[in-house]
Amino acid sequence: MLKILIPTLMLFPTTWLVTPKWLWTTTTAQALVIATASLTLLNWNSETGWTSSNPYLGTDPLSTPLLVLTCWLLPLMILASQNHISPEPISRQRTYITLLVSLQLFLIMAFGATEIILFYIMFEATLIPTLIIITRWGNQTERLNAGTYFLFYTLAGSLPLLVALLVLQKELGSLSMLVIQYMQPAPLCTWADKVWWAACLVAFLVKMPLYGAHLWLPKAHVEAPVAGSMVLAAVLLKLGGYGMMRMIIMLEPASKNLAYPFIILALWGIIMTGSICLRQTDLKSLIAYSSVSHMGLVVAGILIQTPWGFTGAIILMIAHGLASSALFCLANTNYERLHSRTLLLARGMQAVLPLMATWWFIANLANLALPPLPNLMGELVIITSMFNWSNWTIILTGGGTLITASYSLYMYLMTQRGPVSTLIMAVEPSHTREHLLMALHLIPIILLMLKPELMWGWCF
Amino acid sequence: MASRLVRILPAWSRVRLGSVAGARFVSQTPSPGAAGSPAVSSLSPAEHNDDHGHVEVSLYEKNRDFHGFHKDPQVDVWNMKVAFFFGISVAIVIGGTFIHYLPDHGMRQWARREAERLIKEREAKGVAVLDGNYYDPSKIILPSAEEEK
Repeated sequence: MLKILIPTLMLFPTTWLVTPKWLWTTTTAQALVIATASLTLLNWNSETGWTSSNPYLGTDPLSTPLLVLTCWLLPLMILASQNHISPEPISRQRTYITLLVSLQLFLIMAFGATEIILFYIMFEATLIPTLIIITRWGNQTERLNAGTYFLFYTLAGSLPLLVALLVLQKELGSLSMLVIQYMQPAPLCTWADKVWWAACLVAFLVKMPLYGAHLWLPKAHVEAPVAGSMVLAAVLLKLGGYGMMRMIIMLEPASKNLAYPFIILALWGIIMTGSICLRQTDLKSLIAYSSVSHMGLVVAGILIQTPWGFTGAIILMIAHGLASSALFCLANTNYERLHSRTLLLARGMQAVLPLMATWWFIANLANLALPPLPNLMGELVIITSMFNWSNWTIILTGGGTLITASYSLYMYLMTQRGPVSTLIMAVEPSHTREHLLMALHLIPIILLMLKPELMWGWCF
Repeated sequence: MASRLVRILPAWSRVRLGSVAGARFVSQTPSPGAAGSPAVSSLSPAEHNDDHGHVEVSLYEKNRDFHGFHKDPQVDVWNMKVAFFFGISVAIVIGGTFIHYLPDHGMRQWARREAERLIKEREAKGVAVLDGNYYDPSKIILPSAEEEK
């Protein structure tokens, strides 16, 4: 664990001491080396569930794929921000990179924590750099409003969790994930117990986000600069899914009845947010709503608590992390050239940037879950386990898949096909950097088809 | 190709070819005295003032091989080389090889291969693939009723 934590910590001196000329080169290289080093976490030596070198930090098959995803995303965020941050003064560039690095540091500790309270602290700590990135580097004044929504939705959701954790600590005497799974489950019969059950999950349901508590997400995504959107979609939402999977094993007997309303909201949310995507005018907002729709499937998969549900949830989280981050990068390449996110203004880009259109095509196919890609594997596994739980869910999940395909097609056709808008003048050609960025997003998705057991979690 | 477009577009708009919207990105006809002329300095850069008075200069004016990393051509090329080396060669290729050759944890792959081998062997022999009894009952020696007492 320390082999990725200490190099990440050392990125701070790198960022502040390197000469301005080589700032981006050096940080990209170091971040990529850390990402490569994180792959060694996949070498799973232990015969028990957990591999830990010290009592505070450890990995298990559930957290390892998310840790690798976190480490992979930092160099991609640096590459993606390079064009729009580098004209700024050098100290501001350094601050920006420092914020991205601190986000990675907190996320590594959140996914690596063996103590639930450490996970909670890191879960909250990730809010600070994200909030600064959104409200300082966002493009419009609405970013302040978006920042408020983002902060208060998440905080209001997670403060009950703190109280619930303190109650748990008092009753069990420990919050260590290593032992808590072997403890006697709480009976959960009184009214207060049920409130405790809800408090344990609401923080993560808001973070996912569950339909109904999702309003902060499209705002935050639309207003954040590209790196903020990337990390929100790829990793921060997954923090919610990860937390839910960790908590729900302790809440076992009560969840069977209490989870119904949340499962219904999640499934209904797939249809509703998918339909919202179909009539979006804003490119980034469309991608953000598609994230909410996919995460609905993940929430449902986790809440029914079958081995297949968990496996599907983690596969979909990893695959969606890479695909939606790729879509946000593509939206940003359009934004940097046209200075607008409006779908109507950016039509027919295929004629102007044909190679970019290819990346749009592949990223869209990944998002709508084309057969061999891991996105489909995740969706199918969740849909199957939902169908097994109740046959009627196939109407909602199947309808959701159909709508996902429709809005992905809508997004592709609107941005790429048709005549070039007459408003588009003097578009810069696509940079090598952008092609590299897309390749680094999509190659891992393709390689994961060949070794999917890396993200099958506990049940492999 | 595209960088050429960027350079000649302002020239086009000067001679009002821009009004022929559909043909803009297809026509290669050089406008008089601008595109195709050897005097590069005569090509006005793609500058346009935005609301705040900032001037946007295309970096392709200074560096035709711009890779999108840095405005200094030397740093640009090196940043590209470093990003490709660590991103593709190290992380994807070496990292991918490492993942491919990870040890078979819990002998799962072996168990799968062994099961396939056994099925083929049993089918060839014409025996049932799976017997209802996990252990052969004739080989189990149970204590006799007297010993129990």
